[in-house]
Amino acid sequence: MPSDVTFWVQTLINCLGLGGLLLLIAIGLNIIYGINRVINLAHGALYALGAYFGYMLVERGLPFLAALLIAPLLVVAAGLILERLTIAPIRKRPMLYTLILTYGLSVFLEGMAKYIWGVQPRFIATPPYLSQTIHLAGIPYPFYRFFLLMVTAVVMLGLMFLLNRTKLGMTMRAASQIPEMVSVLGINMNLVQIIVFGLGCALAGIGGVIAGPLLTVYPMMGSEMLLSCFVVLVIGGLGSLRGAAIAAMLVGFVQTLGYIFITDYAMVVVYVMMAIILSLMPRGILGEGKFE
Amino acid sequence: MNNAARPQSGFDLPRLSFGAILGIVILLGGLITLPYILANRFYLRLATEILIYGLAAMSLDVLLGYTGLLSFMHVAYMGIAAYTVGLFLKFVDPAASLWVVFLLGVFATVTIALPIGWVQVRTGGFAFALLTVAFGMMLYTVVWKARDITGGDDGLIGISSPQVSLGLFSLGTTRDPHTVYYFTLVVVAICFLLTRRLMISPFGAVLESIRENEERASFIGIHVHRYKLFGWMIACTLCGISGALFTLVKCSVSPTVMDPAAGGALLMMTLLGGIGTLWGPFIGAAVFIFAQDYISTMTEHWMIFLGLVLVLLVLFMPKGIAGFRERFSLGRKT
Repeated sequence: MPSDVTFWVQTLINCLGLGGLLLLIAIGLNIIYGINRVINLAHGALYALGAYFGYMLVERGLPFLAALLIAPLLVVAAGLILERLTIAPIRKRPMLYTLILTYGLSVFLEGMAKYIWGVQPRFIATPPYLSQTIHLAGIPYPFYRFFLLMVTAVVMLGLMFLLNRTKLGMTMRAASQIPEMVSVLGINMNLVQIIVFGLGCALAGIGGVIAGPLLTVYPMMGSEMLLSCFVVLVIGGLGSLRGAAIAAMLVGFVQTLGYIFITDYAMVVVYVMMAIILSLMPRGILGEGKFE
Repeated sequence: MNNAARPQSGFDLPRLSFGAILGIVILLGGLITLPYILANRFYLRLATEILIYGLAAMSLDVLLGYTGLLSFMHVAYMGIAAYTVGLFLKFVDPAASLWVVFLLGVFATVTIALPIGWVQVRTGGFAFALLTVAFGMMLYTVVWKARDITGGDDGLIGISSPQVSLGLFSLGTTRDPHTVYYFTLVVVAICFLLTRRLMISPFGAVLESIRENEERASFIGIHVHRYKLFGWMIACTLCGISGALFTLVKCSVSPTVMDPAAGGALLMMTLLGGIGTLWGPFIGAAVFIFAQDYISTMTEHWMIFLGLVLVLLVLFMPKGIAGFRERFSLGRKT
């Protein structure tokens, strides 16, 4: 029987881990929305695709770390093909159509995943140095959870560097404000949008591969993740990166604690929390949301 | 979109051309004599199902085509009524009157849809659509996990069939395919006519103005939140009616009525038929249900087709089957 302190420390780290994972996926959705003005409902399916690519690569004998680098690139390729073929041609149409279209894409990808890999869960094997248990102040803890937190932190720091310290990041921030003006200044907005979409796909892919060993890989994983990410975006305010970071942690905590204490109805609590926050603060907790 | 030449009255029979009247008479005659044309009871069941899903798809059209709001999980509100009717007939009073359970089902839908709608209409566009998913999933999870009451995955089976009666006049129980077909036909026809009347009234015009430009609508003094909520409640009520019919026809109900795949299927029926027409979704439902019946006997990977068709519809046929009428109608003033 683990002592109370052990349980709570482990739970705390689980909460942070889920929060970090949610942040990775939700931030991708968020920057794509911020710049391309597209809510990509296939984002969850791309995350699942990342997990399946990771599974395939590790299965073929590649080291896990190599899969962590290659699988996101494959997801970027798949995502960009879908974007060019389907989302880009209807950019000028009302947003309802993009929503329905990307929803169709996600249903299609999930169906394909079921067709190719079947409904039974798959496991990504991790190398021994990642699957060991470490002791922190006498509390045993699976090292993989720390690894997940570290990867999330590194990716988020990299993203912050990109957005705040580089020319591309500056263009992206400007484009999220007034895209026409950026275009007038002689910057190829089309290219910026492609890069942003690719970046979002890469984040989803990384999220998929690191989530794989922890949550197992199954076709429905994408839509489940997408639903939690919706909650994150709605609570944080659509288009607000700081809001998303806070909301991801909040949802991570509520969802993890919910699964421990009320299991079956955990997500119901999460949705009710979202409803309450939304009715009190329609633009998210920081009031930065840009709903259209 | 097609708001040119708005008629003054809902029942604008004198304005219809001879061809249109002939078409309506043939359609009505066909629908009424259908049970005698279709010798096979299986096809009569299928026709009843098409009417029910057509009504649900039409209710989504009120939301999507008129108010400009997207609901991915509209089937959740069908499920509420379906489960209310099922639970009442199974556990409370198996001999309950048809009208009592019917009203109870619709009442339950309205009661649950109202607070949810109140939260949802504070947003629009994306956020609204995302919220319909979240709340729809919430309702689905509750139904699916409350195993003790709803039977979980297995659902409710062996629900009793009430008498279809009006005063002294009785048609038989809902177990009889003919009775239940006529009952469904009458209910669906009444719903269709009332909704059509409502949508071509000034009220419908207000909804359309919100669809076209929410900001301008609010500038001319329209209380946008209130009208969006009206649109939402009409859509949910109609969907509740179709859900109540569903249980009465099937004598059973399972969580698949309101799962995410069903939500996508309903959206596809509406799009396939053509949004903003009210009659289009019925055609969409007919095509969809026949196709599903055909394809699902060939392959279990039905979702791949569903997703692919949705993508192709949006890309190449955004106005659905109803769009053909505009494209190929000759000499019609539009």
